[in-house]
Amino acid sequence: MQKEQISDKEAIFLYASFLLGSTALVGIGGDAKNDAWLAGIIGVIMSIPMLLIYSRLSNLYPGRDLFDILDEILGKILGKIVSIIYTLFSFHLGALVIHNFAQFINTAAMPETPIIISMFFLGLVCIYAVRLGIESLSKTIGLFFPLLLIMIFIVQLLTIPNLHFENLKPFLANGLKPVFKGAFTAFAFPFTETVVLLGVFSSLKTKKSAYKISFFGLLIGAIVIISLSTRNTLVLGGLAGSLYFPAHVAVSMISVGDFIQRIEVTVAITLVFNVFVKSSVCLLVACRGIKKIFNLVEYRSVVIQTGLLMIFLSYIVYDNIMLMTYWAFKVYPYYAFPMEVIFPVIVWIVAEIKVRKANKLKPVEV
Amino acid sequence: MFLLPILGYILLFFIDFKPLYKQKRWSDFWVNTFIGVVTFTMAMLLSFGVKIPSPEKPIRELITMLFGK
Repeated sequence: MQKEQISDKEAIFLYASFLLGSTALVGIGGDAKNDAWLAGIIGVIMSIPMLLIYSRLSNLYPGRDLFDILDEILGKILGKIVSIIYTLFSFHLGALVIHNFAQFINTAAMPETPIIISMFFLGLVCIYAVRLGIESLSKTIGLFFPLLLIMIFIVQLLTIPNLHFENLKPFLANGLKPVFKGAFTAFAFPFTETVVLLGVFSSLKTKKSAYKISFFGLLIGAIVIISLSTRNTLVLGGLAGSLYFPAHVAVSMISVGDFIQRIEVTVAITLVFNVFVKSSVCLLVACRGIKKIFNLVEYRSVVIQTGLLMIFLSYIVYDNIMLMTYWAFKVYPYYAFPMEVIFPVIVWIVAEIKVRKANKLKPVEV
Repeated sequence: MFLLPILGYILLFFIDFKPLYKQKRWSDFWVNTFIGVVTFTMAMLLSFGVKIPSPEKPIRELITMLFGK
């Protein structure tokens, strides 16, 4: 079977689209309220060291995915245990993202349709995309993501008449604590979730590209997320923190010359595409993990069943929308911390030691 | 309602399980069958309207216990 490859441009868009995921809808900041923009910026700065670690790992072991790296660095048994943890994490993340999407569709667009229907059809598209492979998925992203960016930009321009800059005041009214709490939330969801992308970075074309992709992907993703979040605050003020989907409400207020109105469907289009990308990547990484754990011939053998399991998990995972928001901002950052920070740091330190030892044993190449 | 998952899984047998069996990829086949049994059970339970417990509750309770609300 030929090896799948993705170009740098496609990988940058994949990275940015993964970051946007459901965050573009749910928003960032949580506790920070009108200082969400500051929380977002601090969250990005906090996540840079972790992204450098992920890139370094990908750089040290080019052509290997997350599970190969774990196997090589931690050994057979410990590597398998951590692989199981990452497979479950990726699988669970995919289910949470599908649930976010379905809650939005159920709340904003189709309240009478049973929620499992939207989950099921999104899940089917993801299963199909993952069976086709990462190359097809990234080519789709390369085609559609620039269009989405243009659309987001136009919508941002159209909101200018509704912006109220006084909504940013009072600056740091509740002190720095809520800002740092919000920054920690943004750090965990979505900026360091990109650890999951290590599972697909084995398909990169060149060895050096991991840093470039992380940098530009983070740049695009962070600019879009922070600008969307700031726009929500500027348009909605204090209301932004108490809505489940602030982006949808902020855009619905656009009315240019009584002619351009009701364009909140653009938010839904952006969401559908980014959620599709994120849940597909999560499903792909989960299937690759299962492949590695059970030494399967090909990950495609288990895609349909794993995808169905993901759909059912997304259906049963939260009882209501309040629990979903509570989870995203209060529970998820702590739950994801070991997978996003602790394990990668340990793996990176061991990898550096191993590589240095191997270099000492080998004669220096000129 | 329970007929829908049964029909779906009969279709899946032909497009998902049978090719693996014919290609004699045994490890792939058995892992896929195991996950298939789990998903089929879940599909049947959901179709009968049974409430399956969510894994988020123990995680949430553990984290609230460790770090507070």
